[in-house]
Amino acid sequence: MSLAKFIENFEEAVEDIEPGSLTATTKYRELEAWDSLAFLTVIAMIDAEYDVRIKGDVLKNCETLEALYAQVSA
Amino acid sequence: MVSTMAKSSFKQIQIGGVVTCVPPLEKCIDDEVDLFGGNEKQIARLKKTIGLNRRRVVEPGTTAADLCEAAARRLLNATSLEPEAIDAVIFVTQTPDYSQPCNAAVLHGRLDLPKSCAALDVNLGCSGYVYGLWLAHMMVSAGGCERVLLLAGDTISRIVNPRDRSVAPLFGDGGSATLIQRSKCQSTAWFSLETDGKGFDALIVPAGGQRTPSSVETQAEVTDEGGNVRSAENLFMNGAEIFNFSITEEPKAVRDLVEYAGLDLDAVDYFVFHQSNRYILSNIAKRLKIDLAKVPMRTVERYGNQSSASIPSALCGELQDVLCGAKTQRVLLSGFGVGLSWASVILDMAKLPICEIIESAPSE
Repeated sequence: MSLAKFIENFEEAVEDIEPGSLTATTKYRELEAWDSLAFLTVIAMIDAEYDVRIKGDVLKNCETLEALYAQVSA
Repeated sequence: MVSTMAKSSFKQIQIGGVVTCVPPLEKCIDDEVDLFGGNEKQIARLKKTIGLNRRRVVEPGTTAADLCEAAARRLLNATSLEPEAIDAVIFVTQTPDYSQPCNAAVLHGRLDLPKSCAALDVNLGCSGYVYGLWLAHMMVSAGGCERVLLLAGDTISRIVNPRDRSVAPLFGDGGSATLIQRSKCQSTAWFSLETDGKGFDALIVPAGGQRTPSSVETQAEVTDEGGNVRSAENLFMNGAEIFNFSITEEPKAVRDLVEYAGLDLDAVDYFVFHQSNRYILSNIAKRLKIDLAKVPMRTVERYGNQSSASIPSALCGELQDVLCGAKTQRVLLSGFGVGLSWASVILDMAKLPICEIIESAPSE
């Protein structure tokens, strides 16, 4: 699993995000598309693609996509 | 090896009719643009994926007891039953008229049920309808009851904060009445019931009970980091935890129950889940690899998440034709949520004399 692929999966999971528009340092919680639905679809994506049950608190406390990726791959 | 859980099976007991009553007042998420800070794109996303759209809410003066009374009267009428025919009444609710006496006793009086009738409440929500069916089956099976009236209803719209985006647009109100009776049919009903009480605070009204009695502090509104407003006496939902719980436990519970029954998933005609939101249901259905045509999931967008009434509401609103038809349908009902509690049943239904949604009269 790679960070680039994780970013791709994230872009696909969240509605109204352009593919290729996000980077490792994107502060995902500040995106316009980040809402309670995005929250759930990302949890579902992380579970389906990485077999990891990410906790809501982790998702709420990470700043960037690479920080989130670090939690998922830990 | 199938995990151990409260599993049981029953024969010669059937559902003899279901009615769900909804209040006439309808709210639509399109009219709540202000609640979402004018973000119409977000509303479009929620409509499309979670399935939020319209919901029914009671006006002050109408309670779950009223909705269930209307449903019960319609049910008794349609099945030509006198009140004397009822041996037990179970009322599943988390929004009773009073903290005491129980709603079942209050309805017992209003419906003129006989003194020989047992009455009790069950304080469960999402899993409550299936728990109620299980209790009813046990009551009939034990010999003392020929007919049990199961009432299940809630007015969650009254306990959410209208400025809490995480819950206010989700929950609708409803009350249902179901008849469970001894019959000559040979089909079996299989039940499983489970709990994880460590998740008690994932879906909770924190104050107003005995643990933290009502006070000026508990009624004070607080704004969370998401901009949602609620007091300690409003319903709080940890969406991530409930979601994780649902997609983890539900598919497992369904597979285990189907195995316990000696069946496979193809043998089930319809999977009627607690109608929490369409995204969770699609996710569960995809994990189970079941045909989405077998999974009713339109109830949330029409009536909202109706808590203990959501499963009967889906039966009445989406499966009326097949359940009233001549051909026997093998259905799996499964409720999951507050507690954390989850319960599932596989049973046959056919030729229901009534399976419909009715509307209550407007409040005086």
